[in-house]
Amino acid sequence: MSLSTHQTPSGFLLPSIHSAPPFFTQQPNESTQAIVLEQWTRLILTYARHRRLFFLRVEDAEKAGGQWDEILRNERINRRLMPAHLETILRAMVRKNVAAYEPADQTRAVLLYWRLPEEWAAVLHEWATNTGQLNSILTFYEISDPPVESALSGIPDSMLRAAIAILAKSGRAQVISIADGEGVRFFARSGR
Amino acid sequence: MALQRHTRSVDGTIPVPALLYDDEDNLASQEGVGIYDGTQKAPNHQNGTVYVTSHRLFYIDSAKPRSRSFTLDLSSIVRTEYYAGLFTSSSKVTIHLNTVEEPSTSTNGDAASESWVCEVCNFRNPPGSSPTGAKCNLCGVPRAKSGSGVSTPRPVSAPPSSSTLHVSTSLPTSPSHTPVPSEIPCPACTFLNAASRLRCEICDTQLPRSQPPLKSAPASRPTTPGPDDAEDSGIMKLSFRKGGDKALYALLKRSLLGKAWEVKEIGKRVEAPGPERFGGIDSLVRGVQTSAQSRQLDMYDALKDLDALMIKAREMVRLAGELNERLTASASATVNEEETFIRSSLVQLGLQLGDTPITLDMIRDEKRWHEELARELAGVLQGTGAKGSVGMMGERGIIGLDEVWGGWNRARGVALITPAQFLQVLPHLHTYTQPVVLMRKFPTSGLSVLHTPAYTGAAFAARLHGQLLASGARTTLEVAWEENVPVGLVAEMIGEAEAQGTVCRDVAQHAIGVGGKGGGEVWWWTNVFQGYVWDGQE
Repeated sequence: MSLSTHQTPSGFLLPSIHSAPPFFTQQPNESTQAIVLEQWTRLILTYARHRRLFFLRVEDAEKAGGQWDEILRNERINRRLMPAHLETILRAMVRKNVAAYEPADQTRAVLLYWRLPEEWAAVLHEWATNTGQLNSILTFYEISDPPVESALSGIPDSMLRAAIAILAKSGRAQVISIADGEGVRFFARSGR
Repeated sequence: MALQRHTRSVDGTIPVPALLYDDEDNLASQEGVGIYDGTQKAPNHQNGTVYVTSHRLFYIDSAKPRSRSFTLDLSSIVRTEYYAGLFTSSSKVTIHLNTVEEPSTSTNGDAASESWVCEVCNFRNPPGSSPTGAKCNLCGVPRAKSGSGVSTPRPVSAPPSSSTLHVSTSLPTSPSHTPVPSEIPCPACTFLNAASRLRCEICDTQLPRSQPPLKSAPASRPTTPGPDDAEDSGIMKLSFRKGGDKALYALLKRSLLGKAWEVKEIGKRVEAPGPERFGGIDSLVRGVQTSAQSRQLDMYDALKDLDALMIKAREMVRLAGELNERLTASASATVNEEETFIRSSLVQLGLQLGDTPITLDMIRDEKRWHEELARELAGVLQGTGAKGSVGMMGERGIIGLDEVWGGWNRARGVALITPAQFLQVLPHLHTYTQPVVLMRKFPTSGLSVLHTPAYTGAAFAARLHGQLLASGARTTLEVAWEENVPVGLVAEMIGEAEAQGTVCRDVAQHAIGVGGKGGGEVWWWTNVFQGYVWDGQE
């Protein structure tokens, strides 16, 4: 039997493993399960980047109609990922540092690092440089929801803070308290 | 007075344990106890030791144990009170005695309710243990009817009461119950004289003058002459002059609550052929009591039997062991049939000890014995080679160890193989089988099987893999059908293949709709993850 890839309506190319029913079952064999986890991690991160999704919750596997249906379900082979299985996948992802529990004290929702905070920091600094906003004070809102669509559109606050913190450490950004909250000022790489 | 009415004197020189009834237990004792009769000190019982038993209270006087000791039945105690003592007053236990019942039983009660001493062996039989006219518990001699009244300790209690009148009243039946005595017995010759006579008709002895006034006196007069009788006689007190009161009082209370003497009476009632008829709740309660009592007795007897049996069994095992040792010692060269027979009998009785060999064969060469057994087992499994003989394995390539053992022993019929022997034989099996039969044990469940080479883990996994590649996913049942092997065994083997990563599972429960492929069924797939390379979106 041959498994084939599949193009979803959103233009995402599903891997062939997605049409194998065992992919949706938690395997008792640990080495097999390791492969399953690895493939799921890759699938989730790839899909998240494709759709610019930042959060994955266990509830997404519990009922249909969410943003993740295209990968958590496979109507063609009549299989879906069980919530318990998704939770173990999330745990594995957090352990591999490609996701973080958000908020921190639960295990049912994660913030996905399809870009690591360091990568986000680089993207952020590049965006600020390219749009000529070095040395001017920006609010978080201006970054995550800019008038012109950017690579940073929709970035969650916590991710943005993490990226800014990394930049601040290397002296490329500075967090400033302003009237209606906080702002950030970016500097050129060479310093102030 | 209460003391003399309710108590019986005993000979205190005899140790108390010897005075007890068969089923009576001595619970505790306390020395330095004085007795109050009613509210007054009893002058003759001021320092002695009190024993509490399950049935009675003993007072053994320390000064004159022979004459001043007595015993009191707990059954005549109505209630007790405790007084802790104050300053010089020592602590006391007040005992309220049954004032109604006791006099009647002591004067005209039947002989069975009193203990009696056998004429022949002097054994003190407990009251009620044998009905009137029955035999002595110890020697079996029937109880002497006429003499029994004299030998009971009752009349002996009279002398301390310092009234000579009682000696005369003990001769005939109690005069208090013959209201108008028409004749007067002569104290010397016992001749019954007419009531009007002053001197005996025969021997001319002066007849007792006290008789005529009896006619007008109250009936209780002869037995209770004490002046304080009217005010109170149902009380006696134990005064603890040397302490120990609390412990003794607690035991006395327990003993009273236990009512050991009543248990005896109930038991007696069971034995009685047909007592009175009762109606209503009373009869129901009585019935329940009776049946519970008899059940208890039955159980007791049965357990006693069991104990005896266990002792016997222990003896038998010991005997068997000795026999075995002696046989082993003398088994140097001579082999005779009796010896073998005895040994095999021992084995059949399950009395064989340790690893003592069963037959002489095994002593000489245990390995050969196992090899012979292995040859036999090979025949059972694969047929003996004769025409039409098909072994237990027949067409099958795999078979459970339990089934083999059962089948082999069924084939042997006699001299059955124990599981331990069976396991010792198995390593030799491969040399006598064609194709080779091996044993393997599934790690997850611990199930052991015998199998041909086609059913080793690797061979089966390879076959399963090919099967799944050819025809897609399968359930355990389908695989079992294909392999012609019981589902349980197939499940074990697939489990092993899964552990090795040859196959992986798809649980149909994970279907999207409720009407999926069926609830909870597992479909087996070849390991689609093995060597998978990402072919989705980068």
